[in-house]
Amino acid sequence: MTIAVQPASENSVAPKVSARASTFLRVSRYVVVRVLTLFVTVVIGIYLTIVIANMGGFVDTIMKGEIRDRVTQTIINNPSYQSMEPEVRQQLIQDTIAAEEERRGLNVPIAVRNVRYLSNALTLNLGRAHNMTSDSGSKQVRLILLERLPATLLLMGISQLFLFFSSILLALNLSRHYGNFWDKLVVTLSPTSAVPPWFYGIFLILIFAALLKVLPFGGMVDSPPPSNPLDYSLSLLKHLALPTLSLVLSSFFLSIYNYRTFFLIYSSEDYVDMAKAKGLPSRDVERKYILRPTLPNIITNFALLIISLWTGATITETVFLWPGLGRTLFQAIGLYDIPIIVGSTIIYAYLLAMTVFLLDFMYSLVDPRVKVGG
Amino acid sequence: MKTTKLHCLLSLLVAFSMVLAACAPQQATETPTQAPAAGTDEPAATAAPAEEPAAPATTRHGGWLDEIVVSVVDGDSAISQIQAGAIDFFSFNLASDVYPEIQAAGLSTTQSLGGYYGISLNPAVFTDTSVLNPFSNRKIRESLNWLLDRNYLNQEIYAGGSLPRLLPITTELVEYTNLIDTARALESKYAYNPERAKAVIDAEMPAMGAELGPDGKWQFNGAPVTLIFLIRSDGDGTRQPMGDYVSNQLESVGFTVDRQYKTASEAFPIWQGTVAADGQWHLYTAGYGVSGLGSLRDESGNIQQSYLNTSIQASEPFISNVSDPEFQKLGDDLAQGNYDSKEERDAMMARALELSLEDSLFVWLIDQKTYAPYANNVQVTFDLATGPESTNVGPYNLRFKDREGGTLRIGTNDLFTEPWNPVAGSNWIWDAHVMRATTMGTSNIGGGGGLMADPYTGLAYPQRIASAELVYKEGLPINQNLDWLTVTAVPQVDVPADAWIDWDATEQRFITVGEKYPDGLTANVKSVVVYPDDLFETVKWHDGSPISVGDFVMNFIQGFDPAKPESALYDESLALSINAGLVAFKGYRITSTDPLTIESYTDAYLSDAELNIAPLWPQSAFGLTGENSWQMLAVGNLAEAAGEVTYSEDKAALLEVEQMSWVGGPSLEVLAKYLDQAAAESYIPFAPTMSQYVTKEEADLRYANLKKWYEDHGHFWVGTGPYYLDQVFTTEKSLVLKNFADFPDLADRWAQFSEPKKATTLLDGPGQVKSGEEAVFDVTINFKDQPYLLSDIARVKYILYDATGAVVSVGDATPVADGEYQVTLSAEETAKLPTGSARLEVAVVPIPVAIPSFTSFDFVAVP
Repeated sequence: MTIAVQPASENSVAPKVSARASTFLRVSRYVVVRVLTLFVTVVIGIYLTIVIANMGGFVDTIMKGEIRDRVTQTIINNPSYQSMEPEVRQQLIQDTIAAEEERRGLNVPIAVRNVRYLSNALTLNLGRAHNMTSDSGSKQVRLILLERLPATLLLMGISQLFLFFSSILLALNLSRHYGNFWDKLVVTLSPTSAVPPWFYGIFLILIFAALLKVLPFGGMVDSPPPSNPLDYSLSLLKHLALPTLSLVLSSFFLSIYNYRTFFLIYSSEDYVDMAKAKGLPSRDVERKYILRPTLPNIITNFALLIISLWTGATITETVFLWPGLGRTLFQAIGLYDIPIIVGSTIIYAYLLAMTVFLLDFMYSLVDPRVKVGG
Repeated sequence: MKTTKLHCLLSLLVAFSMVLAACAPQQATETPTQAPAAGTDEPAATAAPAEEPAAPATTRHGGWLDEIVVSVVDGDSAISQIQAGAIDFFSFNLASDVYPEIQAAGLSTTQSLGGYYGISLNPAVFTDTSVLNPFSNRKIRESLNWLLDRNYLNQEIYAGGSLPRLLPITTELVEYTNLIDTARALESKYAYNPERAKAVIDAEMPAMGAELGPDGKWQFNGAPVTLIFLIRSDGDGTRQPMGDYVSNQLESVGFTVDRQYKTASEAFPIWQGTVAADGQWHLYTAGYGVSGLGSLRDESGNIQQSYLNTSIQASEPFISNVSDPEFQKLGDDLAQGNYDSKEERDAMMARALELSLEDSLFVWLIDQKTYAPYANNVQVTFDLATGPESTNVGPYNLRFKDREGGTLRIGTNDLFTEPWNPVAGSNWIWDAHVMRATTMGTSNIGGGGGLMADPYTGLAYPQRIASAELVYKEGLPINQNLDWLTVTAVPQVDVPADAWIDWDATEQRFITVGEKYPDGLTANVKSVVVYPDDLFETVKWHDGSPISVGDFVMNFIQGFDPAKPESALYDESLALSINAGLVAFKGYRITSTDPLTIESYTDAYLSDAELNIAPLWPQSAFGLTGENSWQMLAVGNLAEAAGEVTYSEDKAALLEVEQMSWVGGPSLEVLAKYLDQAAAESYIPFAPTMSQYVTKEEADLRYANLKKWYEDHGHFWVGTGPYYLDQVFTTEKSLVLKNFADFPDLADRWAQFSEPKKATTLLDGPGQVKSGEEAVFDVTINFKDQPYLLSDIARVKYILYDATGAVVSVGDATPVADGEYQVTLSAEETAKLPTGSARLEVAVVPIPVAIPSFTSFDFVAVP
């Protein structure tokens, strides 16, 4: 028996081991190829960002012009230089311009600087900003971004998570009552999302701040900020209300409409009809036959939403003077502050690459039909 | 049924609108404190300032307010925020197109010069000879002055809130007032006259080889004469419509215009970054900002700067301009002060103004006025040139009109834009505005602090000095305006051998004139300042330490040491300006420490004697705002010497460390560490010199007070001004200033500057004047319905125009009594008037305010 069993046992283990090895090899190969592909994509994306941010080198010309203008005007307008000998003053201007150009690295060829930007970015050595300074006075890009991160996470987190979960719940509800008044209302109002959030923001400011005087015009907390943590939190919430509302309002109906249509499509699949015909309770049908297959898409949306929190809401933050990353990026673009633009982009690029990479595995966990590397 | 529903809906809408209207804030009926001049045709001061309650006598020290909260506010919502009561005052200047909105909101506002705009023309003959540049012809450039209607621009683009500008000097300011007859005559000569412009262009273009095509467009070498116009589309948004208007006018006289809308960063490299002869542009909408009123008192340097190839800007298009030799010499001589008297200088300026219009490298268009709105219960003092944020006396006089104390909320454009340190930190106007409230001295007056700048004339008054004397070399064009100083001219100003002229960073001692110049040294001017006897008892730093001689000496040293390569504080970026400044510097000498008496010698001078007084004060040696106590500099120097933080951004970038901030960020921890070290060691910086002025006991007290201050307030910003910086919130972008009760002066110390004393002028006389007969006109000059004192009026000029607007004669009115002058036109003058309408204009030049008052009277000249 034992002898007879032994070969059988060996024969049964061998295919399992072989299958495991095969899976391991398949997944490993997939991981290596995927990581390399994503890395190359990130490198190309960042390099393109650097080239675009530099406007192909034209930013050098712009910056040199700005330096000349600023230095000249500063010296011309400074009374202590007005009675200086013209030659001395001219030499001072030229020397100051040269020093400023050197400080900005404009004496280094653009190609060399681009490669330097790229390698620094890829190693997350974000360096120093050209023009911008963090609120606390630091020129380090890392600190500038980190200082603004909490404000952005707070605003974007609250608005986007609320939008995400409320949209799904309401959409699911509407999909159950296709064609009723609320469904029609949402469909009718969905084009309102064509209006950007900052536009809603301006109206909300006019109504709630200027007219009704119940909410602040902008900023993150009262001036001066309350010292008591509870009062500080309440002040924060008060300032958060309008920007959050504008972000939610601008996407609310369209988001519900999207998910509702999505759920309706899945609701009309043959296997759903079959389940209903078999007499399964509607809750089971909804959970197992509609929600389950839509899970990969919902997870994808959620994952991308989470990393999109990093980018902030550029113009809305500016309208509300919200000290977030979006406003920082907006200022950096206006000032051609390439290190900040690149720093913000590389972090988003890495987050996106990691998310895409992880999502492949997530799909296989939630959907048995998906096989990693298969 | 449908009609009924529609009616219901409309009714609801109307009702809703009424509710909304009822909710709107009530518009105050009080008139704004300042009314803008609508143009040069209308007197700037015809609208008297609103009635202000007289400031009552007070026992309060420091500022009028208990607390000032400053935060960042979006300028677009500033007016709404004041109406909503969220802020009391938006201190950052807004462009003049918001003036109607401020008026409609019923708010008060400041009114100051924000900058000036004009069209820069390319004067070069292009390398490509197949392309014609009409502006290489001076007469065509000059003709644009007739082609462009400046009043139209002011009304249409700036809502009438700015001033038309023709000349390279600021309209209706000090220099303009000084040359009022020339300025008015030129404005009359170059008044809008498109027919005259067209006639000049029609005459000049064929001479340059162009011909008018059948479509009415100028052609050259068979192609249209196309003007490339770089029109700025950014900034306050006013340059784009301005560019469009100029383009339309040019097209109306036959030119083809290629309008290229560009931002500053796109246009600037083409405008000043390309060789003018390459022909990449013909016109550019140029704009310039202004500094304080003090620097606008003498604008003689503008000729060279704005027209000549010797311009300080040393770039295109200036270097390509070939000017008339007489104009070139005049401009260079004026810039270098090559004249012997004010009369000679004024004559040179008058001629230069005429020639500047014949050159017209720039065609000036607008002196833009800017506005900072505030609630009607607030009193704001502001510099007439630069507005409230650059006004040194501003924080002293800022108050609620109806009460002492209280918390005033200010909104501004930004805060903490760069790290704050008074050596090489932030110089942004909104940051400096706050810093100024914490300081006693002023940084924008030649020589340093201790004086208070007059926001309405640009002159200065002693704030913390007992007496002052100016000695200058005979022949220099220096004029005394006020009597708080003595002024003497001498054949030669010798610098004493024991005066300090340089610094030995190795031995840490001053180098004397005797050591550096054994054969002796002379200077153009010598300033002697005697400080009050009780200076060291009455003036305290915000941390409680009394001011001392050490503070003064430390700041002398700090003005030299960073330029010495052997110093641990060596900073190449600071060395540039220090070494440049040393060219004119001739020495300091402390002749007494009780009372403190300091002499300073220099070759640099300004034409106003008051502005040559150098009341040295412990403040930035580099023109920044903020004060430096010696102990704070000592702590900062220790941190910089260790390479952990640096004063300047340039050095910080070089060492890859943070720039020093005395109010926030990673610097605070570093500074706190070195404060502990300095306190433990009773550290006296630059000991070989400073220990002569600072004792160990003083050092211990200073460090202990500073440490306590840091523990209480969380920052190191310590000054001697009427307010101290209580709390700083860098991320939230707000801060709190509190009244400094130990400030030596009462809150009403500068009440004389509460508001500008602009004159209201009326002119009356006969409606008909017979040619060849004498005619008398009465001038009434008031301020707030009270006669303007004769002693407060510098002069009253009259200008007589004929029906064509040509100037017939210019003269001085005769004083009669307070608030009354008389213009007497002689028989010879009236005989020159052709039959028809004529106009008499008077310009009142007051002493307390730099803005003249104009009014005119039309009459008919009959044979």
